Amino acid sequence: MEIGHRRKERLDRGVKVRTEGLYALMSWRELGYLTMPRLVLIIGMLILPLVMPSMYWQRVISIVCIYALLSLSFDFLAHFVGLVSLGGAFFIGSGGYIAAILNTILGLPPMVSIPISTLLGAVICTLFLFPCLPLRGVYFAIITLMFPLLLGRVIEALDILGGTDGILGVGSFTNSWVEQYFIILMVLFYLFGMRRLVNLDIGLVFRAVMDNDQAVRASGINLTYYKTVAVFIASSMGCLAGGYLAHIYMWAGLSMFALDFSILPIAATVIGGSGTLVGPVLGAFILVPISELLRAFGTLRIVFYALILLAFIVFRSEGIMVYGQRKYQQFEKWVKV
Amino acid sequence: MLEASGLMVFYENMLALNNVNIYCGENQIVGVFGANSAGKSTLMYTLSGIIEDIRKKEEMAGGERVNILGEIQYLGQDITGLKPSQRAKKGIVLCPERRRIFKECNVMENLRIGGYLASSSQAKNTMDYIFKTFPALEKLKKRVGGFLSGGEQQMLAIGRALMAQPKLLLLDEPLLGLSPLVQAVLVRATKEIREEKGLSIIITEQYARPVLPIVDYAFVLENGAAVMEGDREELMNNPDVRSAYFGV
Repeated sequence: MEIGHRRKERLDRGVKVRTEGLYALMSWRELGYLTMPRLVLIIGMLILPLVMPSMYWQRVISIVCIYALLSLSFDFLAHFVGLVSLGGAFFIGSGGYIAAILNTILGLPPMVSIPISTLLGAVICTLFLFPCLPLRGVYFAIITLMFPLLLGRVIEALDILGGTDGILGVGSFTNSWVEQYFIILMVLFYLFGMRRLVNLDIGLVFRAVMDNDQAVRASGINLTYYKTVAVFIASSMGCLAGGYLAHIYMWAGLSMFALDFSILPIAATVIGGSGTLVGPVLGAFILVPISELLRAFGTLRIVFYALILLAFIVFRSEGIMVYGQRKYQQFEKWVKV
Repeated sequence: MLEASGLMVFYENMLALNNVNIYCGENQIVGVFGANSAGKSTLMYTLSGIIEDIRKKEEMAGGERVNILGEIQYLGQDITGLKPSQRAKKGIVLCPERRRIFKECNVMENLRIGGYLASSSQAKNTMDYIFKTFPALEKLKKRVGGFLSGGEQQMLAIGRALMAQPKLLLLDEPLLGLSPLVQAVLVRATKEIREEKGLSIIITEQYARPVLPIVDYAFVLENGAAVMEGDREELMNNPDVRSAYFGV
């Protein structure tokens, strides 16, 4: 053995190992270690509307939550099922138009029209994407990118559903607190729901589909069924966000098919840490406010935005959550070899 | 020609190579034998420099950290820490495990990619030489790589490595998953290449018997450590090695 050579050893913290078992319930410290990150996230999100200085920033929180849902849906599809989806705009548009129609024509209040648009929108999105499910990688991405463009042009050309003006006069939430807490609770619900889901048996199948779909087929599992379920779950998140968006803007229009809804979730996922589910949500909570703050720079906004993104990708390409989780769960020490 | 001393490779906390000393003389064939997970491929990656690439990629993705210690001397130069492309320029060329041929390029294209470093006359001569050594490839010049059989793919992989004009050829499990007949062809070809091209070869294999007749010197790896070394007779006469790696 040569003297003088040393390397950094990375070990799990004792408290992390202990809290993986039943022993977590034996001491407050370990219980705290286990629940602290989750509590910080939940409480932090719940007090956000209270600490926002103005109506404007409260509205920003709602938009952040919409992007958080889209990012969650992107991360789930891309890193747990292996379908790279650029369908954010497609989901938002479908959900938004359905909610707007339900509200203006049938007169349903937001609390009814949003759940219906979530389910109905998810069904419609899944039906549209169903023929494309055998595609993988960049081909699926292209298809999902084409659908919002297609629907947008159809609405414009045929002048249906309000044409270029969009559907005006959509009813809003009666109370601004209800408006904000509704979407915050939905983000939390989906976030913890998805984390649970990917650890269930069905989540295991999803991850297997991503790794090697031939082996999954060879194990006698119906590939198309599981992909359909995954797309349904992911598009329900996007449609929920879309329906909500229609109600807070009191309008559903062509800009709901804007590419922002497809692209920003990817950036949020990269920044937050892909494959962590909570990472993309955090990424949305960082990116959207930054983009609002940068409005002061006027047209240079996009330049600064791009620079921040570039810096993240070059210097911290693993993402905030991957880095944070490692620091929280492991410690490092120098050892001689 | 090549002398590596004190090689240690850690994948995070797992020790893949433990203080391995290995050397290869001019125009020698050196065998490295060991079971799965003994560290053969890691050794090949370390010698060819691919490990530096793996280390960098893992670092970017925030995955496991790869630590590489020890030093490698090649033709009197210290090449520790050199990039794989620089090592290939110096003549250390790896023919990777599971062949890794370019599946969508045909045989000629595969060879031409391998000959990127060679001058056009060198490339032409080497190509003629490869088709002479592996006549089976001659008929398949236009066949796409992915449609070749396992044996043909392995011939192609060796050919591609030869195109880079190696002085030291690293063959990582060239006989993996091949029939005894094809194995014999490849072993004979390896010997011919050594003699005709005058290069040194390091060859790894799990099952030593087919390769042993052509090696001059051999190392046995076990759990990342070189537990034994010696020339052909020494290994053949050792009862432990005989039972473990020759199936006698």
